[in-house]
Amino acid sequence: MNHRFTYSKCRSRVSGLLLALACVLPLASASAWAGGTQSAAIKIPRTADGKPDFSGIWQTTSNADFDLEPHAGRQDAPPGAGAVEGDSIPYLPAAFEQKKKNFEARLSNDPRLKCITPGVPRSVYTPEPFQIFQRKRDLTLYHQFGGNVRTIHTNHTQHPAEPNEWWLGDSRGTWEGDTLVVDVKHFNDVTWLDRAGNYHSDALHVVERWSYLDANTIAYKATIEDVKVFSRPWTIDVILHRHREKNFQIIENYCFTQPYEQFYPPKPPVEGAP
Amino acid sequence: MRAATPTPTIRTMHSNTTGRWPAVSKHLGPWLALLAMGACQLPLQAQQAAAPAQAAASAPARGMGSHRETSFPAIASAPWTGARTAAGQPDVEGHWSNTIGNHGNFTDPQGGQPGQRGAPGATNRPLGAREQRAPSRVSDPADGQVPFQPWARAAQQDFLANFSNPTKPQHIEPLARCAPNGVPKSFMWHGFEVRQYPDYVLFLFDSGSRVIHLDGKPHLPEAIKLWNADSRGHWEGNTLVVDVANANGKALFGRTGEFFSDNAHVSERYIFQADGKRFNYVATITDPTVFTRPFTVTIPVRRYTAADEQDGWNFQATRATHKGKEVILEREEQLCFENNGGFGLGGAPTK
Repeated sequence: MNHRFTYSKCRSRVSGLLLALACVLPLASASAWAGGTQSAAIKIPRTADGKPDFSGIWQTTSNADFDLEPHAGRQDAPPGAGAVEGDSIPYLPAAFEQKKKNFEARLSNDPRLKCITPGVPRSVYTPEPFQIFQRKRDLTLYHQFGGNVRTIHTNHTQHPAEPNEWWLGDSRGTWEGDTLVVDVKHFNDVTWLDRAGNYHSDALHVVERWSYLDANTIAYKATIEDVKVFSRPWTIDVILHRHREKNFQIIENYCFTQPYEQFYPPKPPVEGAP
Repeated sequence: MRAATPTPTIRTMHSNTTGRWPAVSKHLGPWLALLAMGACQLPLQAQQAAAPAQAAASAPARGMGSHRETSFPAIASAPWTGARTAAGQPDVEGHWSNTIGNHGNFTDPQGGQPGQRGAPGATNRPLGAREQRAPSRVSDPADGQVPFQPWARAAQQDFLANFSNPTKPQHIEPLARCAPNGVPKSFMWHGFEVRQYPDYVLFLFDSGSRVIHLDGKPHLPEAIKLWNADSRGHWEGNTLVVDVANANGKALFGRTGEFFSDNAHVSERYIFQADGKRFNYVATITDPTVFTRPFTVTIPVRRYTAADEQDGWNFQATRATHKGKEVILEREEQLCFENNGGFGLGGAPTK
């Protein structure tokens, strides 16, 4: 299926003063988390060409996946203060009705329960680890849940002119100082944003900002725009921690294979059986 | 109106910006699998030309996403003289695909797949002499057959006999249910991409991925069994040597039903040609639960570059949109999970 969408660009290549601002702003927000640490003093891993090197295995400890909005504990979710700037998601009225229906049916309709990819940005705060492999031309995100692979292109390529509807969107990244800014669009409308029924349409447009708080912690922001569902753009903030356990590795969890795994491979005859 | 239940979408055959072959950025489904079956007809046509082996290698048959050659060169293990990555590994990044056929038939790669001959719509040309087709992927023992124990041979024959008209869940090919292709079947399916990092070689297959760990860490605990197993590798000259453990044995080797168990151990050697244009995948499989002796699988693989035509099968990379003039190849998302159905010619989807 081919769909063409027109998006208002909320980001374009910036230069001069804009670039300086773009570099300062994420650091300002990062310092709020890090207790005022000056980024210049932060020693972070860097690639040969001086960019932040996000290689490693990462996972959030937040409860964002259970419900992005503030919520007390309930049977299907531990309590959480929410991960949305301003606390509430600005739904359009009709979309809010749909969200409420999703919430009521969440224990059966969450695509996660069918092992469908969490999409973007949910794959980033899904409570399973993912590994970042980084080259100059791209970052490869390899997710334990579902074995999903997302490529963030950082080689000045653009979104395809005749896109598909991808489960994980099409990701094009640029460096703004030490922040990786990723423009993601061309999604399908199947995935949810959390287990509480927050959702999006195929008009979803995500702008991610990845930056180091320190050498083992990433500040991740995702600004969500979807003119069919939300009245304005809104932003998710989560922190990702580096896995440092000895010999830690991603263990494939294709998940959707579980119902039929019992049928393979053929089993040898049991000794002593008739 | 959004659907709470995902509707299977077959995202195939969209045109890309270059107006070249349609990209197959797909969710594998029965429809596409039927296309794959169609591709299996091609070697029959190719072989009628009876091209000499070297000619076949230099001028491969092209068609509906097919690249087939009837023989291929051996590649000796040797020091690496080609390009290297910044970390010092032989540089083998890029797009690759096998050169002899897909997983339709493991030991007779161009001999058609079970149920194809005689089935409605199948082309029933005579196969001709065995020597006119690519050799068995089993390169040792010399008879080209998998050295099954009797019970395992019977199980393989049961799958083969029922593939076209499955009556039990185990007759359905796991790949048709979107399962990862496993070891070694991933090398008998669509083209794939290799990405390299100082401590890893990453294989991104059409169905599933493999991370080859080069950093010397031990294998996962034995209790963990995985579709794509657990891989530890190192370079010896032109050869990537990989030790494979923790396989769950569920992916099968092909539509002819060959398999190993979760007791299998695989020693892989990826032997790269000095010019970087080819490698041979040579894997010795040991599994005392299933086989009477270790045996060796050899699969020839060639590189695809911007000079190649995208063919929707072996070479599916697309051309990136950008302002420069050079061709930048990139891989599209490959996800598959919503087409959980039966398979086989005439095989009805099962619930």
